[in-house]
Amino acid sequence: MFSLLRLEIRRMLTDTRFLTLMLAMPIAMYLLFSTIFENSPPVNGMSESVRDMISMAAFGAIGAALLATAPRIAQERTNGWLRQLRIMPVSTGQVITAKVLAAMVWGLPAIVLVDVTAVLAHGVHMAAWQWVSIGALLWVGTAPFAALGTFIGYLTGGDAAFGVTYGIYMFLAALGGLWMPVTILPTSLQHIATVLPSNRFAEMGWRIASGHAPTVLGAIVLAGWLVVFTGLAGVLYRRSNATR
Amino acid sequence: MNENAVDFSEVTKHFGSVRAVDGLNMTIERGETVALLGPNGAGKSTTANLLLGLSQPTSGNVRVLGMRPTDAIAAGRVGAMLQDGGLMGGVSVAALVGLARDLYPRPRPLAELLTEADLTSIADRRVDRLSGGQAQRLRFALAIAGDPDLLVLDEPTTAMDVEARQAFWTLVRGYADRGTTIVFATHYLEEADENADRIVMIARGRVITDGTPGEIKAMAGRQRVRFTLGRGDIAGLDRLPGVTSVDLRGPSVTLNTTDAEATVRALFASRRRVPDIEVHGADLEDAFLALTR
Repeated sequence: MFSLLRLEIRRMLTDTRFLTLMLAMPIAMYLLFSTIFENSPPVNGMSESVRDMISMAAFGAIGAALLATAPRIAQERTNGWLRQLRIMPVSTGQVITAKVLAAMVWGLPAIVLVDVTAVLAHGVHMAAWQWVSIGALLWVGTAPFAALGTFIGYLTGGDAAFGVTYGIYMFLAALGGLWMPVTILPTSLQHIATVLPSNRFAEMGWRIASGHAPTVLGAIVLAGWLVVFTGLAGVLYRRSNATR
Repeated sequence: MNENAVDFSEVTKHFGSVRAVDGLNMTIERGETVALLGPNGAGKSTTANLLLGLSQPTSGNVRVLGMRPTDAIAAGRVGAMLQDGGLMGGVSVAALVGLARDLYPRPRPLAELLTEADLTSIADRRVDRLSGGQAQRLRFALAIAGDPDLLVLDEPTTAMDVEARQAFWTLVRGYADRGTTIVFATHYLEEADENADRIVMIARGRVITDGTPGEIKAMAGRQRVRFTLGRGDIAGLDRLPGVTSVDLRGPSVTLNTTDAEATVRALFASRRRVPDIEVHGADLEDAFLALTR
């Protein structure tokens, strides 16, 4: 599995278009959204600028995880690499794990870039332990989204992958409270937010920023989604036969 | 205890109302080189997929090296070259062969694999930048990387020119000599004839016939005796023992016969001279057409 993981990461590093996307997109998104939503109200004892930074770091990490998985996997189904893998001695679990871990690598740059941009552009300020713990938790928390992207990749056809991925990405961001606080949404949608992985993901960062520990329930929701998405991805991987 | 390499027992595979494989029985022993021969749509690819665990039979039993196909694959005892198998882009040829080596329990040395598949000169080239022939050689290298007990090749020489094809089969025969079981699917009659110990002819999802190339040709019951007739007399040739039909073309006449020996003996008994005499077995094409009618 490590051999496969190494190769997955190596091929991402040789893909300049992919690298540009992974590094430029989080910064661009942050600058765009932090300007648009400059006047959103403070929530939970943390300044708007901190809240926005964490939301955008989460948004960037989620996007990185989704885009590092779904499009390429959908392409592998079309070009036949998937079939080739299935006749080699590597298990479904190893394939899925390698995909998820390789994608998670890109969560950290997204988070760090947003944090740095926030400090430079808007002078955002937090205690050192907050920077580190938020960064670490958000990085680990990218896992369910890498799994989601993997699932989408094995689910959709090559052309549809980008569209479906972006659609789900926007849905998770909007209803997860990453653009506007959940309290602004109608009550019915607020209930949905509590089970969305995007909301629970950013919540870990918001809690720490306002001086609290993350919730256990939030961690359970994220872990639950991770299990669901990796399970589904595994099933689809085994089932995708593509008898030409 | 030597289990069979492949066992198909009353295997069917339906896709909706289409019976791609319809009661297939086949046994391949360890060390054999067997060709699955049939026209497109005969069920060869479906059979290969079932063999490799890429799909499950609707009914019946498939066993590879005594195990379920997926178990044989997981144990690293099977190598396969798929017709529509793809490659991982963005990495070098050597890196991809290296991955295969890391996955199998008994990998061959990298240098040997690159040499055998003629990839040494392009070892550092990116997989996306390979020609069709180079990509095919790479897929072959992936198939043999783990020194498998069973090698499955699905239409392996389609994009190859004559030279490459010959080199390929010389290499594969080397593996066969070392005891590797080889199963290859092809629709090229000559390829099956020249390289297989045994041919399993498949049409409409079933085994039509199963035997050595010689046995199958004999089954078609035709041999040909040809000689130069010149200004000689054609009369009576059709009454020679074994002769089923007589073909006159220019100066030479071809006698189609079910028993070449008897025909030739009678020919020499009845004529002073039989110039330019040739005796041919039926070719595989005749056999195939006769048997799949």
